[in-house]
Amino acid sequence: MENPDAIVIGAGIVGACTALSLINAGMKVLIIDRSTVSSGTTGAGEGNILVSDKEPGPELTLALRSRDLWFEFQEDVGDSFELEAKGGLVVAREDDAQLRSFSDNQSRHGVVIEHVVGRELRELEPFLNPEINSGIFYPQDAQCQPMLAAAQMIRRVIERGGALMANTEVTKIDVIAGKTTGVSTTQGKFYSPVVVNAAGTWASEIAQLAGSSLPIAPRRGFILVTEPAPQYIFHKVYDSAYVTNVASSNADLQTSTVVEGTRSGTILIGASRERVGFDGAMNYAILRTLARQATSLFPILRNVRLLRAYKGFRPYAPDHLPVIGQDSHVEGLWHCAGHEGAGIGLAPGSALLLTDSILGRNTFMDASAFSPNRFSKVHQ
Amino acid sequence: MILIIGAGPAGLAAAAALVRSGCQVTILDAAAKPGGQYWRHQSVVTGFKSARAAPYFLQLSNNPAVTYISGATVWSAESFQGAYRVNFLRADKEETIQAEKIILATGAYDRVLPFPGWDGPAVMTAGGAQALLKAHGVLAGKKVVIAGTGPFLFPVATGLASAGAEVVGVYEAHSPLRWLLSLPAIFRNPSKIIELLYYMKLIHSLGIRVNFGSALISAKSGLVTVAKVNRFLNVKPGSENLLECDVVAVGWGFSPDLSLAGILRCAQRVDSDGTVVVEVDKFQLSSQPNIWVAGEATGIGGADLALIEGEIAGLSAAGEKIPYRLSRLKSARQRFARALARSHPIPNGWQGWLTDETVICRCEEVSLDAISSSVFDLGANDSRTVKLFTRAGMGLCQGRVCSQSISEIVGNMRGCAVRDQERIAGSNRPIASPITLGQLGDGIGSD
Amino acid sequence: MNNPITFKFNGEVFTGLSGQSIAAALLSAGVRELRVTRFNEKPRAIFCGIGICFDCVVVVNEIANQRACLIEISEGMSIVSNQ
Repeated sequence: MENPDAIVIGAGIVGACTALSLINAGMKVLIIDRSTVSSGTTGAGEGNILVSDKEPGPELTLALRSRDLWFEFQEDVGDSFELEAKGGLVVAREDDAQLRSFSDNQSRHGVVIEHVVGRELRELEPFLNPEINSGIFYPQDAQCQPMLAAAQMIRRVIERGGALMANTEVTKIDVIAGKTTGVSTTQGKFYSPVVVNAAGTWASEIAQLAGSSLPIAPRRGFILVTEPAPQYIFHKVYDSAYVTNVASSNADLQTSTVVEGTRSGTILIGASRERVGFDGAMNYAILRTLARQATSLFPILRNVRLLRAYKGFRPYAPDHLPVIGQDSHVEGLWHCAGHEGAGIGLAPGSALLLTDSILGRNTFMDASAFSPNRFSKVHQ
Repeated sequence: MILIIGAGPAGLAAAAALVRSGCQVTILDAAAKPGGQYWRHQSVVTGFKSARAAPYFLQLSNNPAVTYISGATVWSAESFQGAYRVNFLRADKEETIQAEKIILATGAYDRVLPFPGWDGPAVMTAGGAQALLKAHGVLAGKKVVIAGTGPFLFPVATGLASAGAEVVGVYEAHSPLRWLLSLPAIFRNPSKIIELLYYMKLIHSLGIRVNFGSALISAKSGLVTVAKVNRFLNVKPGSENLLECDVVAVGWGFSPDLSLAGILRCAQRVDSDGTVVVEVDKFQLSSQPNIWVAGEATGIGGADLALIEGEIAGLSAAGEKIPYRLSRLKSARQRFARALARSHPIPNGWQGWLTDETVICRCEEVSLDAISSSVFDLGANDSRTVKLFTRAGMGLCQGRVCSQSISEIVGNMRGCAVRDQERIAGSNRPIASPITLGQLGDGIGSD
Repeated sequence: MNNPITFKFNGEVFTGLSGQSIAAALLSAGVRELRVTRFNEKPRAIFCGIGICFDCVVVVNEIANQRACLIEISEGMSIVSNQ
């Protein structure tokens, strides 16, 4: 493609949503990926579209808008990526006071919540451990098949005149007098006044190629996948400890269970979080902990067998907020990355924010909390 | 104590060598009885040179230096405080065993190419038919067609015919003349010629018809289509023939079982025939300290080579010198193994037998058109992406049956060769065998 | 491998020999089809015969996805095709 209006680096969910937003806004878009669609963190994701794990603040605002945008994207792209408003259930093990105050606060900021106890809880999840008696149901929580979602969006982008260059590695972001002019790649140079860094966990490497920087690092997570089983689990079910872990900066291993069934009958169990760089080694102790937590939520899973386990690397920034906005040093270089474990859920809203910012339009929310500038301020 | 995983020819030969050197040995094996797939857990082994199995079996029961644990399915292994910890399931309980030195002799399983109808109930692998007969005394069918490529088809045919099955025919895809490409390898392995003559004589006396340059290209309730194929496995138009039978046994060589070697992060490479094997040095030592690998997992070479490799691994693990005789024999057998691969290759022509509806991933029932749509419409460029889009290879078998075929189908669709890295990734899986979440969570040694 | 063993498959009583796998015992009794698939409901039988392919999985004493080619029959065992 010659002279695209924008180049998007990364064909994961964030790159796909951004490319679709841009092309729908009338821009000619070229997507470049060093591998192909969904080959990074998107390919290791569960497809969580959650509002339940976010406390009031800019991320929740983004999450709520994103959640609705997912269904708008589905109308645009077609019902081809298993989008489902299945609802989330956060359960409290013992004392539910903390969970109640957390969710009450959320409900004052647009999150729909339902307190469920006793029989109502059993009706939602008949196989839940009978010792658990209290929870909050979040009907807005949804899920999709993220790899298919990214692929189907990129398919539409191509149909609408965009292009995908797969197996193409960006070797340099070309910058002249503080402005980007495009990218150099293993397949040659491409010129464009707008370059979007949607490289997820690898976004800081891309920033460096422009002589800039972003403090985005990998946070490893494991997911267990079981054999196909009858439907034992009807919603996304989380331990309330999950919410505190998501917001934690502790480098050590944390695990707190998220359990859910899939359309194919397998059950997914996440999620562990550790900061160990890109270490891909299997850690069986983590798998055991996740299994223990999942079976204590759902004792019936004790007889269901683990088939595989996989790891992914979540892109996370020190303050756990995504980076959405123009680079502080290079004009025309825009970042849309660092969504940690919430990339699927936050992608459409992030794409919309970025598109509107690039086009100089009004944005649906104040995006300053996500600005790349926030890191340079700390350093100065 | 030195731990051996697998009680087939390689594992048993390793045990024998270790015991001779005065070492204590523990052997873990998944099956109820020893012998692996080749010697098939029989008390009396039959077939070519079968008497040699007896002393190997004997050591398991009468040698105090050997601890033999049968029915042990290893599901994971990890390095732990300078040693290795191997976790296995036995009688529905998880157990663990620790050893400083491990010899992996995990063997191989049949490779099968997809074809229309291969997911029907009357199709099985040649090894499966052999296992039914030898281990359970059951005939796979009354009227059997045997097809694929490689010398293993012969013992399967003679075994079934001797046991009373009607063998409609053996359909060997390649011409025996291909062996002329490897005359020096044959001359260096005279015992292999004797083995071949043994089976040819048996085939003749049982009246089995062997059709060379022919392949089974589709199957449908009681009827199969066979056709002449060229050396690329393309069907010669008009050569199709319908045959009646009640079961089909197919085998296209073997795939090494690399799960444990992969979990223990032993370096792997792609062999000349596209199979992924563990890389070992002349002592059978892998890239990981104190892990030796012997037998099919280091390259498909048959029981003769496995016995030699097992012995070398055992001697090396015991700190003994490897006699020149063994190294020489190993290189002769390896040469024969390469000749075998050269004589029975699997070029992409088989993909021409497929239709859009042909199921490629049996577990998740993913058909060829779903794979082509993920490549052409969604931009998948390798088997991993195809898997993410279609679930092909994500089922109960974890891609053991289909992943190599999918890589080759995707490569062919995209007009590029399959990358080694992709082949290696497709042969590795972090959980060697399923374990219940209860067993996993209760687990021992989870500190 | 001589003692007769009685077991049930989909409610029907069968007799096999001790030491035989479920798949082998059923096949010698003339039963090849072990289950139907999850999505297309196609019949499946023993395929690899050595525990690799998981095509022959049946529900054994209420535990799903058990490989009929590996599990030996035992007295009174109850086997059904699908969950």
